[in-house]
Order: sequence, then structure tokens, then C-alpha cells
Amino acid sequence: MADSPNMKTLQSWMHAVISHPDGVAAGLGSDSAQSSLSVDSNQLESVVCRSQACTSLERLAVYNNAYFARLMDCLEVEFPALRQAVGEEAFGAFAIGYLQSYPSQSYTLNDLGRRFPDYLAKTRPPRDGDSSLPDWADFLTDLTRLERLYSEVFDGPGEERIPKLSHAELSAISPEAWPDHVLETAPSLRLIELQFPVHEYISAVRKGESLAPPGASSTWLVVNRREYVVRRRTVGRVQFELLRRLVDGEMLGDAIMAVVPLAESEVEDLAQELERWFAVWTREGFFIGIRPAPSKSFSSEA
Amino acid sequence: MSSPRLGHPHLGLGVGLRSRHYAHILREEPAVDWFEIISENYMDSQGRPRYVLDQIAERYPIVMHGVSLSIGSADSLNWDYLDRLKKLAVGVNARWVSDHLCWTGIAGKNTHDLLPVPLTEETLSHVADRVRIVQDILERPLVLENPSSYVTFACSTMPEWEFLSRLCEQTDCGLLLDVNNVYVSAYNHDFDPEEYIDSVPHDRIVQVHLAGHTNMGTHCIDTHDGRVIDPVWALYQRLHQHTSGVSTLLEWDANIPEFPIVHAEVLKAKQYTEALPTASKTSFAGESDASGREEAAQTVLPHPAVMVAAEVE
Repeated sequence: MADSPNMKTLQSWMHAVISHPDGVAAGLGSDSAQSSLSVDSNQLESVVCRSQACTSLERLAVYNNAYFARLMDCLEVEFPALRQAVGEEAFGAFAIGYLQSYPSQSYTLNDLGRRFPDYLAKTRPPRDGDSSLPDWADFLTDLTRLERLYSEVFDGPGEERIPKLSHAELSAISPEAWPDHVLETAPSLRLIELQFPVHEYISAVRKGESLAPPGASSTWLVVNRREYVVRRRTVGRVQFELLRRLVDGEMLGDAIMAVVPLAESEVEDLAQELERWFAVWTREGFFIGIRPAPSKSFSSEA
Repeated sequence: MSSPRLGHPHLGLGVGLRSRHYAHILREEPAVDWFEIISENYMDSQGRPRYVLDQIAERYPIVMHGVSLSIGSADSLNWDYLDRLKKLAVGVNARWVSDHLCWTGIAGKNTHDLLPVPLTEETLSHVADRVRIVQDILERPLVLENPSSYVTFACSTMPEWEFLSRLCEQTDCGLLLDVNNVYVSAYNHDFDPEEYIDSVPHDRIVQVHLAGHTNMGTHCIDTHDGRVIDPVWALYQRLHQHTSGVSTLLEWDANIPEFPIVHAEVLKAKQYTEALPTASKTSFAGESDASGREEAAQTVLPHPAVMVAAEVE
């Protein structure tokens, strides 16, 4: 090689070499590396010096070995239950595939796993036959979705320094005015619908306990944060649907009326249950305020 | 000639703040002189990491140490990152803000590794320009650390200590001298670590890092997973004779033991700074290698990434 490469060329080349999943030699011969610097292993010392003890290739391999290992370690920290469910080898394959498809573009490792659930969902194997039943791949996707959600709630916006809406404050609203009010949900509150009760499996893994992967069972979870620790609570389908509407900003009256048809088949006494649910939800800190809905304005016809 | 440590105080002996020690520090309030944080673990946090940091910052001096500035990258600087870095520095009253002489990625991709730059006039000019910009944004001097490295480039035209000296001279930035990194890089690149220690601009050294590493026989890897070895302590003592004392911090990022063990390790520095100057000659011979630690050697990672795991009920 006649001339010294400029900085951008050298960095593009080195990035291609050290981030190749099949090792530094494969990286050196890759199209992306060769398009930056046309260097083969015999010419490598014209770019990277050897040391007394190591060849240029061996020295570059330190970075190549570290690239996937470091980022896989981080994914293992964020997705310990997925790692437990599939084992080290399969987890490594998932992680390497993901990191190739979605290399980190963020300054923070907190973003590294952001698209991992989507990646697993998109690359899942085809279902057996015509079956629409939840399968192993769905279980893994559910695991990953919930583990990622835990990370986001853990370090995302929270309500630790915000007064919560108490049950007494809620009860102080007159029954006539109640339907026209809107609840303000806590910043950390998140709802997630799953095909498997993966929350129990994740909790077991985090405690170091052994638990067989659960069978499929529709699961509705409310996840929030209190005192800087992530909490999750299973709810029924009617509660979940009602909460979803409240989170979306629907008026209490509209939200409740919308779930009545669903409740008829699943809830014996909706009025009684509503009283109990709101007592629990306020105790759990799901809401931080209540206000009358903006009055509907009607423009006069011209 | 600038004032010693760029006018920064000598904070004493500090420890890198890691999440597994949160509860101990809040409960016991150990007599640590100061803490260094990984900036990226806190700059976006709206949860427990930032909550804990705010409490610790009320009781101890805080220094910020970043791993994603990528001052040596050919990519543009990340303005959003710098804005958040500045906000955190103000929020925790950071005594100073440091990062590494390195690049971490290119074309928008981040390897989350600290990759070495070619030590050329082109690089020096490029890095100096960017240091000036960063200092203007942060409204304070930037402190840059010598990284541990595993390759050198054929196009390099000067030793690292000269590059850093000229960078300090041109930009008025400070130095975070990682003595362990000097040792690791000297081992890997066959240079004399004592010459490096003797040649850096001592009045620019704001802070010193100490850490453990793993000797693989043919090369050393900066693993931050154990105690500081004697030859590194010898380099530290040699540096102390040049500086008459700078803020010193121990990094321990893998196989992290209980807090008192980490704290005790950095307190050993007193033996080397309060004793008579009897620095022994640093030698690579006799250092234990990874052969007795085969299990660990299989998972040896340079400067492992530091993440905060979610706490779930």
C-alpha cells in the first residue's frame, strides 16, 4: 500500500474487520473492509503493526473477539430470562443476528436491546401447518417484550416525586360528575398483553429459581414503578381493556360503557367490581390526577 | 506552564460508582474521598440510577467519566449527547468531565469499545479541533484518558505520550492518566512504560486511574477485574514523584467484589505516596499470567461495558 489511509478510511476499514461475526480474517476479506482498504493478510502489517509476541491479525482479533462478547454480555444483563430459556448457544446466535441487523447507533447501552423483541418476532420460524396456536417462538417473543419493558420502566419517567391520586380523592367526585372526568395515568404505567404468563418465568429466573416454561395462557399485565422498583400486576381482560381506554384519555363514563359488553360475560357484578378495581388501582399508584373532560364545543352552522 | 491539575483540587482516593454497591454506599456512607460515575449510565436516567446518584452527590464529590464521546472519530460530534452531558455535569456538580482518546464508532454505528487512533498530525489536528468544540459546549476543560490498546498503526508518527502532550498544549485540556493502561499498552506494544510516565506533561494530569488487568502471556487485556499488580503500583509511585499527588481512582468492572474490598484496594495507594520514594523498576517479568485462570481467560473482555440492570419486584 503506497499511501497512508486517511482517518475515515482507516476507521471504516477497522470497523468492518472487528465487527465481522466470523472473525477477523473473514472481516479482513469482507467486501465492506475491502471497499475501504484493499489489504489482505499478507499486507496487513502495512496498516497494523505487529508486536514482538503477536501478529497484526492476532492483535486485531482482540477487538473482534471483544465486539460481540461485550454486546452479548449487555444483552444477557437485559434479557436474563430469554438467555435461560434458550441456553447460551441459541442466545448467542440470536444476539449476533440481532447485532448484525441492528448495530448499536446510540451512545447509551440502554438502547441496545430496544429492537430485540421486534427482531425475534420478524425472524421467527414459520408456524407448524395451519396452527394459529401460540408456540415456542411466541413464548420467546413474549419473554423479550416483557424484559425490554421492564428496562424501559425501570429507567424511564416515573412518579416517585409526584403526588398520587388517592381513593378518597377519587371518591370525592360526585356520581353525577364522574362519567365526564378523565384520569391522568402515572408516567411509568404500561399495559402489555401476552400469550404466555412469562412474568412468572422471568421473576423465577431473576431470583435464581428453576421454573419450567409455562404453557400458553392469555395474560394481561399492568407494569409500573414504585420507589424506583418495577412492579407488575396481572389483571383480567375487562380490567385491561378499561385501563387501556383510560390511558388513552377516554372519559370515565365512555370507557366503562365500552367494556360493558365484554364484562357481561366475564364479570358478575360490574359496579361492585369497579369499586374494588379503582381501590386497588389507586393504592398501586396507577393515577396521578383526575380532571373534568374539556367541554365539547359545537360550532354553529353557517 | 499551567497550574497543577489545571487548578482542579486533589480529591484524594476515589472509587468508581457501580450499581451493585448502591445499597452499601447509601446505608454505610463509607469514608471514600470521591466517586467517579460512567456518564452514559446516568445522563438519560429518570429512575433509580439517577435517584441514587443525586443522593450520593449530596455527600461526596462526583467526577464524570464518559465512554461515548468518540473524540477521535471521523463522524461528526453528537450535539444531543453533548447537551445531555453538560446537563448532567451541572446537575451533579461534577468536579470535571473526562473521556478517552479514542473513537468508538463510525458511520453512525457504535461499537461501545474504546478504539485507538492513529497517532498522526492529521489525527492530532482533528482531535484538537473537536476538543476545543467540546470544551466550548461544556464550558470547562475536557479531561482525556490514555486508553489501553491492542494495536498500533503503521502510519503513526509519534508515541502516545507525545500526542497527548501536544494535544494538551494546543487545547488546554487535561489528562486522566491511567497507569494500568500505560502498563497494558507498553506490554502490548513493546515500549518502556517508565519513559511514558516520565514524558507526559505532569502539570496537566488532573486524575489517575488504577485497575487490574489480565496477562494472556502474549499480550495484556485491560479487564478491570481484579487487584492492581505491583508493577503498576511501581509506575504509580513513579508518577507520584512527578506530580506530588493527584486525585486517584480505582476502576473495578468485572467480578466486582463487595465494596470494602474495592475501597481497600485504592487505599493501598497511600503506601506508595506516603512512603519514601523507593520506586522499584517496573518489569514485565514475573507478572502472573492467565494460565492459572483458564476459566476466566475464556471470557476475558477488555474494559467491559458497565450496565445497570433493571430492578423488578
